[in-house]
Amino acid sequence: MNLQGTHGSNGRFGRFGGRYVSEVLMQVLIELEEAFESYYPTVEFQRELGVLLKDYGGRPTPLYYAKNFSELIGCKVYLKREDLLCGGSHKLNNSLGQALLAEKMRKKRLITETAAGQHGISAAMAGNVLGLEVEIFMGIRDMERQESNVKRMRLLGARVTPVKTGSGNLKDAVSDTLREWATCTRTTHYLMGSTVGPHPFPEIVATFQSVIGKEIKEQIVEKEGKLPDAIVACGSGGSNAIGAFRPFIGEDEVRLYFVEGGGSSLDADNSAAAFVLGKPGILHGAAMMVMQDEQAQIKASKTRAVGLNYPARGPEISHLCETRRVESGYAFDHEVFEAVRVMCKTEGLLPALETAHALAYVLNHHDEFDQDSILVVNYSGRGDKDLETIAGYFYGN
Amino acid sequence: MEIDQKFLELKEKGEGAYMPHIYYGDPNEEFSLELVKTLVSNGADLIEFGIPFSDPIADGTTFIEACERALKTRMTPIQRIEGVRKLRRIGVEVPIVLTTYYNIPYTIGLQIFAKQVKEAGVQGLIIPDLPVEEATEFLEATKEFDLKMIFLVAPTTDDARLRKIVEIASGFLYVINMEGVTGTRESVVQSTLDLIKRVRDCTDLPLMAGFGISRKEHALAMLSAGVDGIITGSAITEIYSKNLHSPEMSLPDIAKFAGEMKQACVEGYNR
Repeated sequence: MNLQGTHGSNGRFGRFGGRYVSEVLMQVLIELEEAFESYYPTVEFQRELGVLLKDYGGRPTPLYYAKNFSELIGCKVYLKREDLLCGGSHKLNNSLGQALLAEKMRKKRLITETAAGQHGISAAMAGNVLGLEVEIFMGIRDMERQESNVKRMRLLGARVTPVKTGSGNLKDAVSDTLREWATCTRTTHYLMGSTVGPHPFPEIVATFQSVIGKEIKEQIVEKEGKLPDAIVACGSGGSNAIGAFRPFIGEDEVRLYFVEGGGSSLDADNSAAAFVLGKPGILHGAAMMVMQDEQAQIKASKTRAVGLNYPARGPEISHLCETRRVESGYAFDHEVFEAVRVMCKTEGLLPALETAHALAYVLNHHDEFDQDSILVVNYSGRGDKDLETIAGYFYGN
Repeated sequence: MEIDQKFLELKEKGEGAYMPHIYYGDPNEEFSLELVKTLVSNGADLIEFGIPFSDPIADGTTFIEACERALKTRMTPIQRIEGVRKLRRIGVEVPIVLTTYYNIPYTIGLQIFAKQVKEAGVQGLIIPDLPVEEATEFLEATKEFDLKMIFLVAPTTDDARLRKIVEIASGFLYVINMEGVTGTRESVVQSTLDLIKRVRDCTDLPLMAGFGISRKEHALAMLSAGVDGIITGSAITEIYSKNLHSPEMSLPDIAKFAGEMKQACVEGYNR
């Protein structure tokens, strides 16, 4: 099974992936693929990216043995602390990489979309570092829900453009960013935020995020002398999960768990669990598992975790789950809030609502892991951005 | 009538082709039927018949809203395809080119989709998010139905891909006027004129220019630059969307607009 690298396969992961876009975008995608293949492997690019990740981003992030949380679960749980990456989530790994690539390609401007605002912030940061203008498309409803992150992006000098089409969330923001890109491919790079979209985006984002998994591998061997028994990560498009999983995909003894947003229930219109409720379809330039209605129209997803509120799963995670290399699960909103409370209490850490899905899954499934098991949870982001929502849930507004 | 035959007929008459694009069911089915009838009786030579999609990434605001309104009617894609049969029944004879995003045929099943479309009376297909590189499976699954497969070319398309596209395209080529999405624009840009020249040099397929055409001057400029016809979409939707409670009140204005566009196709062709 060839899972790493997609050269010559037109960006296919099994039956998923591909490049289903308007003719206007074809040429720039080919140009991007060629640029990525020629710059990324060079010593110079690796050195520049390495310095940025280390000195600006703060990598490597620690692998923390969460002793108190472990006692509760009944096995050893390590947290890969992507919340400590500058900006507060794993998103900067990809943004620095793509911004550097865009600069090499002599683009002047970055455009992107954001939901929770974490990717938008990382894009604004990376754009400033590399001297590129930044415009961020954000669903109008997400702008209300993640107001503090909107302020941060604006403070960093990014232009934040509200997206009013559709239901005003991530799906619509991606569509509008693709539309904007069609008008300005010659000067502008679309800094895709997750392992979604037309080829080569899923491959590029996965490559830049796999620094997470590479570090996990080194750190766990150093601490435990062996590979973990399981890795758990949350996701929708899948960038933090793929980043953590990639170096372990060929290690069959390491179980991989992907946790999506269950929403309030699995009933119609209340969930973001595309692996439960979706089927193969085409959205935003790729074949993916996607939630759709009987008229073949894409359905809006729903979850309190804005960053998981996307109705499709990226091509690679779609393929890994279809072939059962990765097991998919979900957590409901109320379980997620409970997981936030548990993490605050046991470890004094406030996780992002997205990250708390992975924690909730571990709490729900703790009896599947025996006492000697070593678990790594990709602790993808911190929860400061969700403070209002979380406080509102527990104490009322 | 077949597409090739239509272009031959227009050539003999010395006219450019006019193809308006509508989204079927916006804001309701009865209006769409009336709209097509009006367009055809005022000069439309072909009809681009749109099946709406929830996430039309190649469309601008006007058509995004048209899709949203059309989807509120809750018709299935198959029911909309039946709309072509209804048009044939009320006497619409011009070639109909059906356009939709790839998720629709992909989800319905490529063969089922092509069979339904053919039987309803469609001559050609436009799938804007299906570039030549991804089209092999679709072409293979649908070849028995003899539908013309219309591909798009854009100012950004380089010569190597242009050759690849003309090799498998049939019916006509859809020349995207500008870098961007559908919607009305102020002027026609130089890169478009260059594109038309490049395409003309490598194929005998008829060329239809679309995206951003809303005025007679645009149409004249495009025809003079060497295309065989023009496509307007958003411009028509803009007319009736000002009066969505009784869109049929807009039909006289639409008739006038279509007449002017067709007139420009005739004048432009003879320049």
